[in-house]
Amino acid sequence: MHKIMGKSVFLVVLSLICLCLLLYSSEDLQNNLQHSLHKYIPDVTELDEWEKDGSTQEYKGEDLFLYIDGGAEIYHEYGFRQVVVQDYLNKNGKSISLEIFEMENSESAYGMYTFKTSAQGDVFAIGDEALLEGYYMNFWKGNFLVTLTGFDEDEETVKGLLGIARAVDAKIKIKGKKPPLVSLVPKKDLLALSMKYFKGNLGLYNTYPFFTKNVFALSEGLKADYSAGYSVYVIGYQSIDECQKRFREVKESFARSLRYNTFNSIDERLFSIRDRRGSVIFASLFEEYILIINGIVSPNQAEEIFTRIRENIKTK
Amino acid sequence: MAKKIGRRDFIKKSAKIGISTVLGSSVFYQVIGHYGCAPGEKVDLAVVTGSDYSENTIKAVELLGGIEKFVPRNSKVAILPNTQSRHPGTYTKPEIVRAVIKMCKEAGAEEVNCLSWLTRKHWESTGLAQAVEEAGANLKLIDSSDESLFKPIPIPNGRELKEAQIMKELYNNDVFINMPITKDHAGNKFTGTMKNMMGLNYRVNNRTFHKEDWQTNRSSIEFLDQCIADLNTIIEPTLCIVDAAEFITTNGPFGPGNLIKPQKIVAGADRVAIDAYCTTLWGMEPRDIVMINRGYEHKLGEIDLDKVKIKEVKA
Repeated sequence: MHKIMGKSVFLVVLSLICLCLLLYSSEDLQNNLQHSLHKYIPDVTELDEWEKDGSTQEYKGEDLFLYIDGGAEIYHEYGFRQVVVQDYLNKNGKSISLEIFEMENSESAYGMYTFKTSAQGDVFAIGDEALLEGYYMNFWKGNFLVTLTGFDEDEETVKGLLGIARAVDAKIKIKGKKPPLVSLVPKKDLLALSMKYFKGNLGLYNTYPFFTKNVFALSEGLKADYSAGYSVYVIGYQSIDECQKRFREVKESFARSLRYNTFNSIDERLFSIRDRRGSVIFASLFEEYILIINGIVSPNQAEEIFTRIRENIKTK
Repeated sequence: MAKKIGRRDFIKKSAKIGISTVLGSSVFYQVIGHYGCAPGEKVDLAVVTGSDYSENTIKAVELLGGIEKFVPRNSKVAILPNTQSRHPGTYTKPEIVRAVIKMCKEAGAEEVNCLSWLTRKHWESTGLAQAVEEAGANLKLIDSSDESLFKPIPIPNGRELKEAQIMKELYNNDVFINMPITKDHAGNKFTGTMKNMMGLNYRVNNRTFHKEDWQTNRSSIEFLDQCIADLNTIIEPTLCIVDAAEFITTNGPFGPGNLIKPQKIVAGADRVAIDAYCTTLWGMEPRDIVMINRGYEHKLGEIDLDKVKIKEVKA
């Protein structure tokens, strides 16, 4: 009897120990998950002359609204997961804010990077791609987008921006890949830093308001600007059938819209139209892509550009 | 949720500050009526261009008939500038706010109150806190997390938004001057007078404008823009003065972004016309912006600028 009771007590104690270990490790795991972005924030020991100012803030999912009240939609369109924010101060009172955004994948991070940056700025070899515009620095690496903002363009601020950026870069070990769409647009006369990659219609609408409705049903697209004064859009679809169906709807929407005039259906797969400002739009269908050229462009130039893109698609 | 006020109470309190709704039109507007630049000349929009933004502001209001047309003696004036971000071209410039406070004081306003549910840090980092205090106005910061400081207001004509929650402090004033900066906004491409009104509404209520599921397709953006237009049906500013002097056309609303400098101050009472005009300053058309279309559909103002009397001068 005593032996049985002893065994039972032993088993209960063992079970309790196992349960405690399980709970502990689960809590530990949860903490790690919760603070997974904290590990990318440089500590004071890793930086020259910059100290943390206040505690690290973090926002996940829909709570991004609390942090970027009024500007969160576009992050969600690109596939936002979470962000950590840390401010830094130096001994002269200069301030820098560091934001590390974790996005769904590297395409999301690249897209948001192209959305936030302009064609003006200095390129740096930080992360997968980095741009410093005055006191504003962005880089993307893997599925992370990192934004650093100073208050001025003083030398010490810029030095601090680069120092913190490099420290974060060193902590992010993964590398990203640009979306395949990037390789489809012609390289000739392409303006450096002009590409904008979209994951939804809001991104597209912000570059050129073709339609207020989501006529393109866009889930992936790219815009690139050219020195001759036109822009090229490549919008990708999951299948040729889907693309054909969408192209028909796009064509009808252009033809019906009061914003455009001089609609000319050249054939089933090509049409042209003008917007109210006189800018010409050529749209073409090829495999699972809708191709658009918008701006100062002749029909011959447009055909040449379309041909180049088609060749790029064939050889992708 | 705070206790809802009754219809009669709402009309009484709304009328006091010049809020017009389908329930009751503005007493203030009935008193003031239409303004004019010169006898017989009606100006809907005054636009002044020049490098001295303070002077531009004063001149724009003069073109509308002078500040006295809008601010009676001994009145209490509420002002709503945009203080959302500290980057150039993202907030209403301090010299413009300072000029408006000065005009209100000279017109005999008893009190000028700048309202905001943003933090003092926002006001300080933009230089607006100093400008407001030096000009002798009160900075009234409302705790955005305290729902009891906001008054539930039904929106009978709201197509999507059926109830707003407006900061109670607004109703302690007789005149309301809306003072946004026009700029890019990633959520719907454009911000101006109509969108700035979200700065009076309870933050949690604002969040519902973005739909619960946070889907960011165009239909959701149309939902957002419809909510903004709906919100505007219950509050009519006495006057709008827009900073279109220097503003961002990309990476909005927070910036930094591409900064353009039209050096213009735009003033008037027709929110739709003002926003429509401002779109043209950076290569857009009023019809491009869903919110402006929805505001026009609500009969908040005129979208066709050919029908608007615009007085443009260079300072």
